[in-house]
Amino acid sequence: MPLSQDRLRTILAWVVIALMAGPPGVSVVLGVMFGESPCVLCWAQRTSMILIGLVGLFILRYGPRPRYLGMAVLLATWGVFMALRHSALHLARDIGQGFAGTYFGIHTYVWSGIIHFAVLVVIAALMFLLREDAAANWGRELTRTGRFAVGLFVAVVAGNAIQAFATTGPPPFVGQADPVRFSFNPRRWVWSLDEWGLDRISLRGAWTVPEPDLATVDPDPANGPLAGLPALSISSWEQIGVPLNGTLSDLAWDATSRRFLAVTDHHGVYVLDSTLSRVLHHVVIDPGFSIDLSPLAGAAFLGDTLAVLATNKSIVLLRPDRQADADREWRHFVTTDGTISELRLGRFATVRARQMYVMSLAYDPAADELITLTVPSPRHRRLVVARFSRTDFLPVSEVVPNLAAGLTLSGPERSLGDYMVTGAVVADSQLYAFSAAYSTLLVMDLQGRMVRAAYAVPGLVHPTGLAARGAQLLVAQADGRIAALERPVSPPAPAPD
Amino acid sequence: MEFLNFLLILWAAWLLWRRPKRERLAFRLLIVSCILMALLFVVGTRTSLVPGVNI
Repeated sequence: MPLSQDRLRTILAWVVIALMAGPPGVSVVLGVMFGESPCVLCWAQRTSMILIGLVGLFILRYGPRPRYLGMAVLLATWGVFMALRHSALHLARDIGQGFAGTYFGIHTYVWSGIIHFAVLVVIAALMFLLREDAAANWGRELTRTGRFAVGLFVAVVAGNAIQAFATTGPPPFVGQADPVRFSFNPRRWVWSLDEWGLDRISLRGAWTVPEPDLATVDPDPANGPLAGLPALSISSWEQIGVPLNGTLSDLAWDATSRRFLAVTDHHGVYVLDSTLSRVLHHVVIDPGFSIDLSPLAGAAFLGDTLAVLATNKSIVLLRPDRQADADREWRHFVTTDGTISELRLGRFATVRARQMYVMSLAYDPAADELITLTVPSPRHRRLVVARFSRTDFLPVSEVVPNLAAGLTLSGPERSLGDYMVTGAVVADSQLYAFSAAYSTLLVMDLQGRMVRAAYAVPGLVHPTGLAARGAQLLVAQADGRIAALERPVSPPAPAPD
Repeated sequence: MEFLNFLLILWAAWLLWRRPKRERLAFRLLIVSCILMALLFVVGTRTSLVPGVNI
């Protein structure tokens, strides 16, 4: 049902009027009346709406040419993207933690998405109403409504220009991430160049975190962040005597049942006897259904339950079960010997350890909590000891450990974040963590608040796991060899002042 | 920079209102303004165009 040209021009003029009187116009009024001031991303979205209005004026003046219609669609699509990108900064925060003011209960960055999406719908609707020959027979003169639309457009853009001058300044100054209230008083104007400070170009920003790679670490303890460490010598070697489906990535020992738990980077889970020469239970977990599992890197016994952890902090609880239902377990395992059931699949939720991978898992039976330690990346270089409730996998504590008296860093730029902890275990109310980087054993209090002692352990190649067996620590290597050390007893915790 | 962009838009609007024969110049101003707007958004996101989410 194509409309006559006059009616279509009137409708289009009113669309431009509505768009300009909407956010771009109202925002200037809100700025003057209430000090509302847009951030650098809001400015871009407001400008996008104004540019869509300008394209509308082009169509009013010159007709619905393909390049104008294409430009309108392009701007509206880009606007929807900008709104999604902007909203993503705030949508997932805790309840009530949005950014700046709300209108009708919705923040401006969400309104931007709604409006740009509505523009797309309106463009589509107007194109339905176009006559085939509309572009060729378009009159050049503006109607009265068209002239009003142009006048309003100029007034709104001029208002925005004045507000932009006051709040962002002339070039090269640019809008701010955290703008201050609008004021007519020049002494309160903030003109900033901060946003130009691009230190690197990255499409994913802080989320550019490569998976940890043991091949890149320096194993020499002498180059580590802690200076002058005593050395622990390897007392004996053992070897896993069964073929594994990948690289050994962690090892745990259960003194009660006298069994080992070994995991591989190819999602293999093996329960082995005390001689490491017989497989008692075995599965290969399906990493794609349903929660993503990156390579397994942690293993721990929780009583008779097996806990295995992936580097992305996804966790699986399993149980040896001679009566396992093969049909039910088919969905969980790529390979199974039929003697293991999956109890639960979940993820550790983190705050301080967010955006960091892990390569270790320990279990504190007294608190019934799981412990893991972060590994550094080029983006995030810090060591976070995180404890999680076994019940809901939510964090109980996430701390950055301090150094006890007597331990010193080898340089001002060094930190515990230089270590890459690949194995952890709780024994005798202490947390032991082994770093593949600089082959160093860290001894901490159970909460991970303080490193009480550290030892260099030379002679290891790609250590990937740590287990405690009586008075021994067992350091598992990627090649399946296991080094036995005498477990050191750290100095007692310093007395409180 | 936002101020500069609004001046470009005002210039384009004035051309199509008072100098409609300068359509080509007005359209070029529109293109420049669009590019500047997109550039400022990219600067505002520190080039991190992909949101901080799992994709």
